Amino acid sequence: MALTRDDVRGIADYARIALTEEELDEMCAYMNEAIDLLQPIREYDLTDVEPTFHPIGDLSNVMSGDELNAHGRSLDLDVALSNAAASQGRSFRVPSILGDEGGDR
Amino acid sequence: MDTLSSMSAARIAAGVASGEFSATQVAEASLAAIEASEGEVRAFLQVSADLALASAKRTDERRAAGEQLGPLAGVPVAFKDNMHLVGTRTTCASRMLENYESVFTATCVQRMLDAGATPMGKTNMDEFAFGSSTESSAFHRTNNPWDTGRVPGGSSGGSAAAVAAGEVTISLGSDTGGSIRQPACFCGVVGMKPTYGAVSRYGVVAFGSSLDQVGPFGRCVQDVALAMNALVAGGRDSLDSTSQDVRPDFLEGLDDSVEGMRVGVIPALMEHEGLTAEVREGLQAARTALEARGVQIVEVELPNMASAIAAYYVIGPSEAFSNLARFDGVRFGYQEPNCATLAEQTALSRAHGFGSEAKRRQMLGAYLLAAGVYDKYYYPAQQVRTLITQDYRNAFERCDAIMLPAAPTCAWRFGEVSDPTQMYASDLFTISNNIAGNGGVSVPVGLGSQTGMPVAAQLQGPAFQDKKLLRVARALELGIEEAKLHRPGTVAPAFAKKGGDLA
Repeated sequence: MALTRDDVRGIADYARIALTEEELDEMCAYMNEAIDLLQPIREYDLTDVEPTFHPIGDLSNVMSGDELNAHGRSLDLDVALSNAAASQGRSFRVPSILGDEGGDR
Repeated sequence: MDTLSSMSAARIAAGVASGEFSATQVAEASLAAIEASEGEVRAFLQVSADLALASAKRTDERRAAGEQLGPLAGVPVAFKDNMHLVGTRTTCASRMLENYESVFTATCVQRMLDAGATPMGKTNMDEFAFGSSTESSAFHRTNNPWDTGRVPGGSSGGSAAAVAAGEVTISLGSDTGGSIRQPACFCGVVGMKPTYGAVSRYGVVAFGSSLDQVGPFGRCVQDVALAMNALVAGGRDSLDSTSQDVRPDFLEGLDDSVEGMRVGVIPALMEHEGLTAEVREGLQAARTALEARGVQIVEVELPNMASAIAAYYVIGPSEAFSNLARFDGVRFGYQEPNCATLAEQTALSRAHGFGSEAKRRQMLGAYLLAAGVYDKYYYPAQQVRTLITQDYRNAFERCDAIMLPAAPTCAWRFGEVSDPTQMYASDLFTISNNIAGNGGVSVPVGLGSQTGMPVAAQLQGPAFQDKKLLRVARALELGIEEAKLHRPGTVAPAFAKKGGDLA
């Protein structure tokens, strides 16, 4: 079933990309075309086929020791803040997280 | 007088080591070549002249002090602009990162510098590597040095064009679905995607974390082998958990006979309707060239390759959506001013920071990972990945490498392929390699009879047998040279005299 404009609006909201009305039209056409391209995936008999999520199969989480700057990778404060559009003191600065209505949307 | 662009990387490093010329002279010659050609090619987003001259000066001082120089001493190298290098911006050709200054240096970049290379700058690309023509760069297009009315390929189009125009000797690119091999093909240079895990991804802005791999461009296989040696020289990188400890000497035995080796071809694939006659002819010439070197051609099958595009455009966008979620305009990147809430700031920063294709891919990924949809596409795509990987395993029981086109066509004219899904289909011959994770290399095999543009053959090898793969690539290069179809080491004809004089 083809995605509707409202479906695409919902996805854009979830993806946190504020699309214009015009962009929504284009995106809707694109999404349906792209999904058509993916159909071969749904036509397989994949019974008993294990998935491969990664080309290197036996990966496990790599944990660092609980020590400060273990790999010498920690950024100095001024460097860490240097690419932020807004900062204050030792922090990144953001607008209200909760907003006027007490929710985040 | 010699021009820099007529020299191989080994020749430059030897000249610097022997004192025939200094690294500073080489850097100046590369800057002169960039100055002469960049107006037509526009391969770079940033030329790092100060860094280059400082680095070359250090190389010259080390020589003066009697220190041993690295295998890439003084060799001018450019980096795709998704690789961090302190002292340069890392923009990913996106408005999102237009002013982003690198705060650390990527391992792949550092290893090239550790080998003595001189950093000339950062090259243009499709925005966040989403594309096959470099046209989605937010800043400007890059022109193919063989015909400036045509695309250089992508997404590493700037890296391929800079080498093809003789602006630098080696460059690095990244390849998620063909983004090294296809632009190498379009620009008539050698481009290698090593086996996943061979080269560290630390410091390279992520697109598809299970697909991305960094690799070199050069004008001959030997230069690519030299660069590969530098990239793996440090072994496993503890800063990339998928990095593997593989460090063969890619130069050792590179010229050894390949007599008796077997190269697989896939007859069904050569019948694909999108494949142009000139690419078919090029592949036939490649086959003849390999046979002349004593290679036995065998027929193999990759039956599930037909579904590789579908699997890739599930896995790639899903991973991209996940990776690009970090661009929220808070810690770095474009930030929409005057927003009342964080949610509004995030949605508008992403809407105005990302270009169209970056939005499309993330939207597709967001959809595919949604509850209820995941089971229809994402999970089955990973099962198809198992089948594609098994196909390769079966095929490599019968051959040492598989040969196929790098792209179905030669470089197209600007604007000729404008529909996104049509562009996706052009990845047909390269993406299965990323899905399975094994290595691939694109080797020029001459010019197309219709367009006069470069044609390449792509060789793919078993995982972690990239050394043998390069040996086959070298044999193909030699066979093609003997057949007088392409002379390795040469730049695009219009730029042959602009390659930077080495006094």
